[in-house]
Amino acid sequence: MGLDALFGAFAMIFAGGSLLYLLSGMMVGLLFGIIPGLGGTTALALLIPVTYALDPLDAMYLAGGVMGAVSFGGSVTAILLNTPGTAPSAATVFDGYPMALQGRAGQAIGAAASSSALGGIIGIFTLLLFMPFARQVVLSFGPSEFFLLAVLGLSAIAISVRGKLLRGLIAGLLGLLLAFVGADAITGDLRYTGGFDYLWDGIPLVPTLTGLFAISQMIELALKGGTVAEKSSANMKITGVWEGIWSSFKHWDALLRGSLIGTLIGAVPGLGGTVAAFLSYSSTAQSDKDPDSFGKGNIRGVIAPEAANNAKDGGSLIPTVAFGIPGSAEMAIFLAILVLHGISPGPAILIENEREIYGLIVALTLSTVFASVIGLMFTRWMVKITHVNVSIIVPLVIAISLTGVYVLEGRMADVVLTMVMGLVGYIMIRFDYPRLTLIIALVLGETAERSFHMVNLISDGNPVGFMVARPISVILILCTIGTFLLPLLRRKMAKRRVARSLVAKP
Amino acid sequence: MTALLKAGLIALATTAPGAALAEWPVDKPITFVIPYGPGGGFDTIVRVLAPELEARLGTTVTPENIPGASGTRGGQAVARAEPDGYTIGIYNIPGLTVSQATETDIGFELGDVTWIANIASDRYALAVAKDSPITTVAELCALDRPIRLSDTGVDSTSSITAVISFSIIGCEIQNITGYSGSNETMIAVMRGEVDATLKPLNSMQGYLESGDLRLLATLSEEPLVEGIPTTTELGYPEISSFGLNRVVGGPPGMPEDLVKKLSDTFMEITASPKFVEWAASTDTGLLPLDAPATEALMLELAKFYEKYAPLLLQTKG
Repeated sequence: MGLDALFGAFAMIFAGGSLLYLLSGMMVGLLFGIIPGLGGTTALALLIPVTYALDPLDAMYLAGGVMGAVSFGGSVTAILLNTPGTAPSAATVFDGYPMALQGRAGQAIGAAASSSALGGIIGIFTLLLFMPFARQVVLSFGPSEFFLLAVLGLSAIAISVRGKLLRGLIAGLLGLLLAFVGADAITGDLRYTGGFDYLWDGIPLVPTLTGLFAISQMIELALKGGTVAEKSSANMKITGVWEGIWSSFKHWDALLRGSLIGTLIGAVPGLGGTVAAFLSYSSTAQSDKDPDSFGKGNIRGVIAPEAANNAKDGGSLIPTVAFGIPGSAEMAIFLAILVLHGISPGPAILIENEREIYGLIVALTLSTVFASVIGLMFTRWMVKITHVNVSIIVPLVIAISLTGVYVLEGRMADVVLTMVMGLVGYIMIRFDYPRLTLIIALVLGETAERSFHMVNLISDGNPVGFMVARPISVILILCTIGTFLLPLLRRKMAKRRVARSLVAKP
Repeated sequence: MTALLKAGLIALATTAPGAALAEWPVDKPITFVIPYGPGGGFDTIVRVLAPELEARLGTTVTPENIPGASGTRGGQAVARAEPDGYTIGIYNIPGLTVSQATETDIGFELGDVTWIANIASDRYALAVAKDSPITTVAELCALDRPIRLSDTGVDSTSSITAVISFSIIGCEIQNITGYSGSNETMIAVMRGEVDATLKPLNSMQGYLESGDLRLLATLSEEPLVEGIPTTTELGYPEISSFGLNRVVGGPPGMPEDLVKKLSDTFMEITASPKFVEWAASTDTGLLPLDAPATEALMLELAKFYEKYAPLLLQTKG
């Protein structure tokens, strides 16, 4: 294990035509990331047949290029159009879009670019650091830890919806209700499927997300008319890109926090980038000196989730490579590419296929950096989108995102669901209900329910006793309690400070 | 005029199968449906078979993953297709046989599928963690509580095999289901959440080689792994015939000559040194059966699981 292999892989990628595969993967990734409804999963799925004819290493470069670039692409749309291009960029809209509305889009994109690149690099270095302990990491996360992580994620909903707690909880509960649709993971019984076999596997995430964010936002824009950016031509000059880039270094604590949360959540199968970015956003907002500035264009609210959604790739490689358990939806497709090339994931992969795995790691690193650089080069033009009349943007985005949803599984029902969710999302915008809360609850609800059932079975009906006997479970329980207590403590301290300053005055 | 047209149509219809074979396969791709996502056992075997079919039939063979609804969506897609030989699929047997025996709606009639060939039958084995104190099946049964096993879902084939097997052996089990893949069920054994797991031998190979898992027995008549007892040796010959079959079939009502040609092609492939070598390298248990033999196997399995339907319905609750 180690640096020799890594340096070797770096040398190899610059030799011959390998860089070309990486660059093509990256361009595909950026493009699929930018377009709502299309994402890394679709891009990789479409590339599977292409990789069939390639050398395994070149296939790794192609896949790594896609995976590294896709999340930055998604953030661009999130910031400029309030529409996350991919699921993991959903948390970026909270502060990215308000920044764009204030004419600070250049700054937001700059921050997204640098934090994506740095987050990706931190994630990969964490991966390299943890590779020797991959076994212990994976073995110490069982159903009990999955359940508690899901609970922690659900509790973070309460923080992210500062000021409209009740609405946040209603949206979250709606998400949990939707999570119950489909076959029960334990008994296989069908629930709330209304006779549609489409619903057997539950409500699919991509159409729901595309509907709730992309379609609804397009309805909103179409009804409002005009252009996205409220201030007119005076702001056509793109300023603040460098300031944005630099801000990731200035707010290194938010960057680091986002990267570490991203890597950790990435390593837990089934949670994925959306949850990683969301948790790092809410954790950064919560621990900030001025939490109320979040959601109104605080640059830290862009840096944290952006760092997380690139760092998660490094994390999700741990279970994928070492055990053949995909850490995310993209990794599931990536596993298929590995198998196609005769590489079987499992305990022996790092020894037998060192070349391919390090090749992938290098491709991922370079891709996150290059994608940010290329993205920045085009910022000037991309920001102009916010000044284009929405009557041009709306039909384009709707047509492309519906096509993207259809392409993923080839089911017309997905398109119908996207439209329905688009209407639901529009109603939520109108009545000011947070949409991401619903998505997070939909993702976590399934994990929470299933793993709780499993813990219950494993522990012979004594789940609490089982959990408190496991150290990582205890840490997660404490984190969850802390999530609720911290705001209360802070309020108390603030009160005391006010009281003291009053006393100090004569 | 109409009568003439009718007669013509009938003539056309009767000559159609022969004509179909004469032209089949024209330069039109054959879709090979995989009812699961990419990367699994069914996906891998189809992707190995596809280029071999291409070479022998002279047309493109496109593997298509139609996952969902416990592997029934793919089967439904094949059932809806034209029986013209351009759509075939691979089926999880006895998974679907059991669904039908327990009257679960799978969206198509298993009895109507045109069976073409049986390709493989993976043997099951029972494994524990390397540091487990349990060394034999008898010791596993002697725990003074139900044996905890790990599985993906109650209607998964391995879960059903476990329920029937342990009812024959005569010890109580508590099947912990909900793991999201067979790899996770094995890791559950390593984490110590469960006592043992019953899985196809080849899917456990990686962890057996790394020494994380240790075999207690294989569900087979002949010894499969040196030094590991078979269920027949242990005195339970009834459960030695369990296997996970990978069966190729087509839409209902495929013309016989078409079926024969496809079946012969599959038999040729499964006998080829290249395929045999692949099977050996991945520990895939080959069980090549032509169309009539596959048909007979399916009837036999349907009868077998019919017998255990009450037991299975009971565990489902």
